[in-house]
Amino acid sequence: MAQDHDLPGRGRGNNAVLDRGGPPRRPKKPGPATTAGGHPTRRYRLSRWDLKASPYLYILPFFAVFAVIGLYPMLYIGYLSFFSWPRFGAEHGSSVGWENYVHVLQDPVFRKALVNTVGIFLLSSVPQVLVATVVAALLDTHLRGKSWWRMSVLLPFVVAPAATALIFGSLFADKSGFVNDVLGGIGLPDVSWHGHRLASWTAIATMVNWRWTGYNALILLAAMRAVPGDLYEAAAIDGASRVRQFLHVTVPSIRTTLMFVIITSTIGGLQIFTEPRLFDTNLQHQGGADYQYQTLAMYVFNTANSAVDPYPRAAAAAWLLFVLIIIFALVNFLLIRALQRRSA
Amino acid sequence: MIRRPGALVYALLAAFVLGSAFPLYWSFIIGSVTRERATQNPPPLVPGGHFLENASRVFDRIDFWSALANSVIISGFSALSVVMFATLAGYSFAKLRFRGSNALMVFVVMTMAIPPQLALIPLLKEFSNLGLTGTQFAVALPWLVTAFGVFFMRQYLVDAIPDELIDAARVDGCSMIRTFWTVAVPAARPAMAILGLFTFMQVWTDFMWPLLVLQGSDVQTLQTALDQLKIAPGQTLSDMALLQAGTMLATVPLLLLFIATGRHLVAGIMQGAVKG
Amino acid sequence: MKKTPRPWRRILALGAAATMVGSLTTACGDGDDAANALGPDDILTITTFGDFGYADVIKGWNDDPDRPFKIKETRIAQWDTWKQTLTADLQAGTGLTDVVAVEGDAMPQFLSEAASEQFVDLTDSSLDDRWVEYKYQAGQTADGKQIGYPTDAGPEAFCYRADLFEQAGLPSDRDDVSKIFSTWDEYFATGQEFVKELPKTKWYDASGSIAQAMLNQVEFPFQSADNEIDVDNAGLKDVFTTVTDNVPTLSTRAVQWSDDWIANFTNDGFATMPCPGWMFANIKSSAPKVKGWDIADAFPGGGGNWGGSFLAVPKQSDHPKEAKQVANWLTDTEQEVGAFEKAGAYPANLAAQEELTSRGEVDPYFNDAPTAQILANRAKAVPPGVPYKGDKYSDILGLLQTAIQRVDEGGSADDSWKTFTQAVGRLN
Repeated sequence: MAQDHDLPGRGRGNNAVLDRGGPPRRPKKPGPATTAGGHPTRRYRLSRWDLKASPYLYILPFFAVFAVIGLYPMLYIGYLSFFSWPRFGAEHGSSVGWENYVHVLQDPVFRKALVNTVGIFLLSSVPQVLVATVVAALLDTHLRGKSWWRMSVLLPFVVAPAATALIFGSLFADKSGFVNDVLGGIGLPDVSWHGHRLASWTAIATMVNWRWTGYNALILLAAMRAVPGDLYEAAAIDGASRVRQFLHVTVPSIRTTLMFVIITSTIGGLQIFTEPRLFDTNLQHQGGADYQYQTLAMYVFNTANSAVDPYPRAAAAAWLLFVLIIIFALVNFLLIRALQRRSA
Repeated sequence: MIRRPGALVYALLAAFVLGSAFPLYWSFIIGSVTRERATQNPPPLVPGGHFLENASRVFDRIDFWSALANSVIISGFSALSVVMFATLAGYSFAKLRFRGSNALMVFVVMTMAIPPQLALIPLLKEFSNLGLTGTQFAVALPWLVTAFGVFFMRQYLVDAIPDELIDAARVDGCSMIRTFWTVAVPAARPAMAILGLFTFMQVWTDFMWPLLVLQGSDVQTLQTALDQLKIAPGQTLSDMALLQAGTMLATVPLLLLFIATGRHLVAGIMQGAVKG
Repeated sequence: MKKTPRPWRRILALGAAATMVGSLTTACGDGDDAANALGPDDILTITTFGDFGYADVIKGWNDDPDRPFKIKETRIAQWDTWKQTLTADLQAGTGLTDVVAVEGDAMPQFLSEAASEQFVDLTDSSLDDRWVEYKYQAGQTADGKQIGYPTDAGPEAFCYRADLFEQAGLPSDRDDVSKIFSTWDEYFATGQEFVKELPKTKWYDASGSIAQAMLNQVEFPFQSADNEIDVDNAGLKDVFTTVTDNVPTLSTRAVQWSDDWIANFTNDGFATMPCPGWMFANIKSSAPKVKGWDIADAFPGGGGNWGGSFLAVPKQSDHPKEAKQVANWLTDTEQEVGAFEKAGAYPANLAAQEELTSRGEVDPYFNDAPTAQILANRAKAVPPGVPYKGDKYSDILGLLQTAIQRVDEGGSADDSWKTFTQAVGRLN
């Protein structure tokens, strides 16, 4: 088969090095590992220390920054969730044990928010990953002007979330919005985007998907580019159609990346905040008059502005949300691994 | 064998791109009509002629250029920092075997689950006690290295660097850092470019943290400056046309950067590392 | 006051652990880096939201060489965003400017015990007669501590579309219509007639605004005098029932400030709306080409106030004396008149109100209505202390507004009321 001239990434596997931008430079010859007397040389000892310590040193910057920016607030919030703290008070009050958690779990709004969050998550993350995979596959072909096509899918990511909410909010306005105008034009009735629960989920999921699908598509595309050409050729020889090649060659080969995309969009999908918040034009920003589209992240935020013990209760809700996300991510991970094992 | 994709592929992609671009086009339309026309029903479908007029009002109302400069500095700094530290950490998790590597990686992923909304208050307190509020550095600090970055680089490098190459380098006597520099970094380049661009865009569009930490100081990012446009003299109703024109103006620099670097980026994806 | 950063603190940042523990236990930032006396290069800071109209007057202060220090105003676009920052900064114990603006409906929250501790007592008996009684009281705690100085007031008149009134066969002259707006019964009855004549146009802009207006006349809508929550009272129930009964016929069913609500200005969506002074500019800018707006110098049920803010001084400030002085100055007659001229904020300052009335200016957009005169009259009609606003006023008000919104969106009034009382029950 002729080489793919404009796709140098698709090499033959063994010549990985030559297919890239150049070989690694050959370093100088090192000295001996031991002296004549059998003692380890200084150079050798340094090298051993280098070997042992380097991994930890390399991950240290992340953990150092995280300790200050992520860990400390999380622990502080966890600590606070067991106290009472009157609104606008300068300091927290006395300990109340698990009361804040109980209060949150018994709140019907919390339960509504839970359902909303999962619903919006499913409506956003599932189509997102599917469409992103398909779009990545479409981009992984010999398009004319492929650079422009590939770049244009990232266009939505350029717009700030607040601006997105502004734009989509007016597109989805219940009476004067563009979408309802179009629906009316083709003879369908107006949809109450801000009133009907499922409709509001759809509008918000549309906003989220609009923003993140191209992003995920590019990540998947990068992984697809690394799939060796021989696999496709072998499949083609076996008579597999493009679609079958996609299902049986592409998808399994980008497993790790697909897993990555699913996990990150799960975590992100359960944390959705800005879009539903700004979708609610009511100044309370409570996510619908009947809490139709209030997510858990909004619940946390709104609780922090509520009347009684706002911050500790919000802290309890934040920790509950955190645990929920971990559980979902874990379930996703195990589910996919089980599916992969079955198909392997 | 070079197979050109069929019409169906182009059609599907065109639909997707149109859907991606439409809201931006919409924003431009609203930003190009008069204030009154912007909120009327039926909404305008073609651009009015007033974009430059609205844009000049944006420039009058806010200090656009210095806010732009701040945004560029902060976003650029964060992008570079994230790429550097995430590649280092990602490489370590992906290719170096050490005790606790798996547990720590899981920990890193877990940190992504932390809801950011509440962290603002203790962070603000911390920063204020350290005298850091009101500076560009304070805005960039939480973005020095992200869990997403580490996770992303790790999963990319797992497949992108053949173990044999690292072993070969080690056998040749490279130090760890030398190995990283000569083997890992070239292989990681496409992912580094993507991560850099993504981080840049995310920091560019961040609003709540800069607002909180820059409050009262003269330093503004583009997003906090844009928020000022909502102040209509003596009124509570915002000038929609003005707001959208402002949004467009804030989006254009990012678009330009995107176009300038995008081709290299995408070409980088094309030359992606190869799985052995 | 600007804090100068200390280099040694940055070095401490590297020993994160020690500093973190320290920052956990420190309630406020340290105060030793601020001089107690302000020199000519020092700056007193103030944060406002929306447009208070202070830009020119503050420039005047800063240009005056005799002033002991300068003032710097930070403007946040919306109360909602500023409220987040204000709350966060109060709880973090740091970050606030010397003077802060507080929205009227939120003021009662800051009058509660724990909250009022965070603010400087601005009591000054020489200012007892400066403002309209009802606003002055609204900035005071139960034991007489003055937390906020009133800035602007929102006495309500009624704006109406004289041209649409004519089409419907109703009187349209400013004086003639005051009968329509004299009582709520009269108002709703006329509304029914109107929508029969012009079915495409609704009577009022939003159920929420009418609910708000009616609520402002109930003596104890949400909480009793000792701040016990009680929403089962006749006054509140009556308002809810009236408003929800009229949803199908008279209301646009739009939510205030939503895109639909804004669109109604330009497509003849409604004929009347309760109008505090700050609403005039909203109407003008939303529908500059619409002719036919007028203002009636009347209000059903007597009078009402909607909106208006306060200036407060947080205890975090390093310069409480100067801050109090600036708050005093900004709410003085000349500055309040200036603010009105710049931003249309109708002053709570009595002398300023008189000054504006005496100018006799009329607004051509509103059929040459003497706006200042009308607003002054309306302000006089507002009874002080009504409604009683307890510390949870704005929380419960928010819940009520969403309860009404649920009915606007097609829900049943009974279900909505149930959800409302349930949500209020959780405010403990």
